[in-house]
Amino acid sequence: MKVLLLERHDDPSVSGGWVAHVGSANERPGITGIAHLFEHMMFKGTPTIGTKDAAKDLEIIAEQERVRDVMREEEAKMRAAYRRGELEDLTKPESKSERYRELEKEFNQLIQAQRDIQVKNEFDRIYRSAGGAGMNAFTMQDMTGYFINVPANKIELWMWMESERLLNPVFREFYAERDVVYEERRMRTESTPLGKFAETFNAMFFDAHPYHWPVIGWPSDVASISKAEADAFYNTFYAPQNITLILVGDFNSAKLLPQLERYFGRIPRGPNNAPDLVTQEIPQVAEKRMNAEAEANPQVQIQWHTVPFAHRDSYALDILGELLSGRTGRLYKGLVLGSEVATEANAGQMSLKWAGWFAAEGEAREGHTPEEVEQAIYAELEKLKSEAVPPEELQKVKNNFAAAEYRKLSSNQAILMQLIFNEGLGDWREFNNAAAQHQAVTADDVRRVASQYLTRENRAVATYTRKAN
Amino acid sequence: MKRVLTAVLALFVALFLLVPAERAKGAAAVPARPGQLAFPPLEYRPPNPADYRVQLKAGPVAYLVPDRELPLVNLTILVRTGDYLEPAGKEGVAGVTGNLLTRGGTKSMTAEALEEKLAFLAAQLNSAVSDTQGTVSLNLLSKDLDEGLGILREALTQPRFQDDKLALLKQQMLQQMQQRNDDSAEIEAREVNHLGYGESFWANHAPTAKSVESIDRTDVEAFHRRWFVPGNFVIAINGDFDRAAMIGKLEKLFAAWPFKGETPPPIPTETEMTKPGVYLVNKDVNQGRVSILLPGIMRDDPDYFPAAIMNDILGGGGFTSRLVNRIRTDEGLAYHAGSSLPGGTYYAPPMRALFQTKSRTVPYAVGIVFEEMKRIAAEPVSDEELDGTITGLIERFPRAFATKAQIAGTFAQDEFTGRYAKDPGYWKNHRAKIRAVTKADVQRAARRLLKPEQVRVLIIGQKDEILRGHPDHPERLIDFAGGNLMDWPLRDPLTMQQMAQPKPIEDSAK
Repeated sequence: MKVLLLERHDDPSVSGGWVAHVGSANERPGITGIAHLFEHMMFKGTPTIGTKDAAKDLEIIAEQERVRDVMREEEAKMRAAYRRGELEDLTKPESKSERYRELEKEFNQLIQAQRDIQVKNEFDRIYRSAGGAGMNAFTMQDMTGYFINVPANKIELWMWMESERLLNPVFREFYAERDVVYEERRMRTESTPLGKFAETFNAMFFDAHPYHWPVIGWPSDVASISKAEADAFYNTFYAPQNITLILVGDFNSAKLLPQLERYFGRIPRGPNNAPDLVTQEIPQVAEKRMNAEAEANPQVQIQWHTVPFAHRDSYALDILGELLSGRTGRLYKGLVLGSEVATEANAGQMSLKWAGWFAAEGEAREGHTPEEVEQAIYAELEKLKSEAVPPEELQKVKNNFAAAEYRKLSSNQAILMQLIFNEGLGDWREFNNAAAQHQAVTADDVRRVASQYLTRENRAVATYTRKAN
Repeated sequence: MKRVLTAVLALFVALFLLVPAERAKGAAAVPARPGQLAFPPLEYRPPNPADYRVQLKAGPVAYLVPDRELPLVNLTILVRTGDYLEPAGKEGVAGVTGNLLTRGGTKSMTAEALEEKLAFLAAQLNSAVSDTQGTVSLNLLSKDLDEGLGILREALTQPRFQDDKLALLKQQMLQQMQQRNDDSAEIEAREVNHLGYGESFWANHAPTAKSVESIDRTDVEAFHRRWFVPGNFVIAINGDFDRAAMIGKLEKLFAAWPFKGETPPPIPTETEMTKPGVYLVNKDVNQGRVSILLPGIMRDDPDYFPAAIMNDILGGGGFTSRLVNRIRTDEGLAYHAGSSLPGGTYYAPPMRALFQTKSRTVPYAVGIVFEEMKRIAAEPVSDEELDGTITGLIERFPRAFATKAQIAGTFAQDEFTGRYAKDPGYWKNHRAKIRAVTKADVQRAARRLLKPEQVRVLIIGQKDEILRGHPDHPERLIDFAGGNLMDWPLRDPLTMQQMAQPKPIEDSAK
């Protein structure tokens, strides 16, 4: 296990977190969404946190799984009936078979039995009553991050809680939590004006790479993931050699290290290292397009395949994005103020661990079409491919990158999050090193990356028009 | 403009590797339960506002919090103005003025030149006017402070309100309006205010296409000159400066203001909640958004702390709270569930419980909220709940002042809203007031606030599916309506008038 420590003594608190080097990219079809569901399960407690009777709790969980196995067989039958057209919609409560309803009753009785010995949400309760604040976690394609802020005198509590849940997690309430995640999917993806379309666009953009599926998972997978699959996932990806601890705040590193050894050193190394991700996106051979009718103003989104995190061209692509963005950026000046085809327009490089892309988007001004905005974006990009950026303009963008280096240090929490992201994407050292790389970008670099990556056959385009009432 | 900035700052993060090894003999064992851990005491005294407060001769009160850690200065001006001062028919003029103050150029600089200047300095100059307050903020590198303050003074006293920028902003606002019914979350936020404060309350007079189209430069100039004067300002500033030197700079910034302005009238507070009942807005999304509203409380009400603790136990305290336990953890009905009770500053916002769940389980989950509201009013909370909540609030208290920007910002807000004048020891006494709350206080607050006959339920979602309910659960919406189950129409996005008459729903499901 790797540990990053940064002392800051201004405020009597510590922002603590850890990042597991696993995300949706490490999943496979059938269990998409498991990395994220797993993140939820990490708050369910341990043998001693969350229950009054650990042995009985485990017995009940095993019994629940036996019922669930039978339910899974019944689910397979219901899917078969759906394929034959005998069921209209598997998510409707009326679609459940008689047998399935009986099993559900049986399962719910076991849940009831478990509740009698349960201490609800005790993991959260312990932190909260000890002054823990902002406890949360997130899952991305490449990483799963967990974080909280505790008063400086409670740092040992943090070590106890985090090492305990890594060493002995108990995945109780697994199936209710799976329903919670399905509601999260409805909330973020299915019930928002653009969520469903963004998911489809992403799936269209990546052919081979696991970034193809959404982090939250496909709905059918989310509804079917089993506890056994989650157990296997934990054994592979939550071994200490796949985790980095990060602490920022009011502590003494020399005194803290032996304690960290004591708490986290008790977690045995996993027998196997997590498998490396070998699938690479195939080079795109033709432009991809989709046209969506959505409850939104007409707009366009364009993405080009580019480079991943810390790639030598990523810095020039970052600079290119900033040259195009903001109120003094070329897209705003060209499309909003100049030709007046758009009301807003932006661009930027997104560098994930295994792959990256450059995105540009704009909303069409009333009386104009997404296609006009699209063509206007290309026209601005052509200028950047053919003419060197003037020194003043390049310096303006670099000045903003430099100032951002200070602004990103505004609090323990902000620093922790940046370290989690950088480490999760590949290397925490980028937190320090990227600044010099951005300053070193030349006008030639910008022209070169614009020409190399922003080509027609390398892009995917989504145009949105307003759905008629 | 040849200045080059090359800040490259390395944080010295220490890297270690923990190697799982044979545990050293004699190393203390890890205790079985966290309750067995002993923690060193943590003495915390909140910052004292008087240590930072300066009454400037030029008019404003300023809170200065020097901090040399980073070469940045962060300044915020709070302005006594707001949407409530908009002339009838000119709804939107406050927001337009707030936006264009820093986006529309100054006397000596066109809007374009100003933007370029700020961008080259990597300075962030922003302004906005919301319902009861205006904000102008400047965040920049301390080496550029004098130049930045010069620009700020010009923006405040001689804004250009360039015609083409006014036209562009109006166009953007009109286009934005067309999205008013697209997102169920936006519809919910808007209708919460309508049910919570009443149709005629000033805060529900949203800009319309007509009102925005009617705004011209003279309206904006008049609004600016009337309210943007130092007598209406409160300042928060933190960062890389010397206190005495900064006081001199602020005096200069606000001296000899070229126009007089006015002290704004008090904020009207006559809210009137829409009649209790269930209000259903039909929208084709597969998850219903639900807000359950009750009359709220002012922040200086004697019952405020008991009420806040009651809310924390009911639904405000995250995973530890009852609503989250039942709706999310037990039943898996929602990702987001909880309650809020923001004490009112000028008028009381409604108490609100909320969640989002699939259409068919909306009535069931509403029933759970009703049950929990009744239970916390009927039975005293447990010792564990009360102690855990109180200890947590006290232990988390230092978070309110975790950064210098928070210290300056919080004290400036207190000055602005009059809390400092009324109760200068508010933060010093905060923890004692929390500690004093008893189970009887909590129950009293629950009984006062959580009256079932006072509930307004707002739901945005698929009407027919929601009315149908779930075969496993007997609850139906009509059960919670007290005879008032209403079809609540969407509003025309350009006029904000409801597109039909609200009408009672014949509940065929029962």
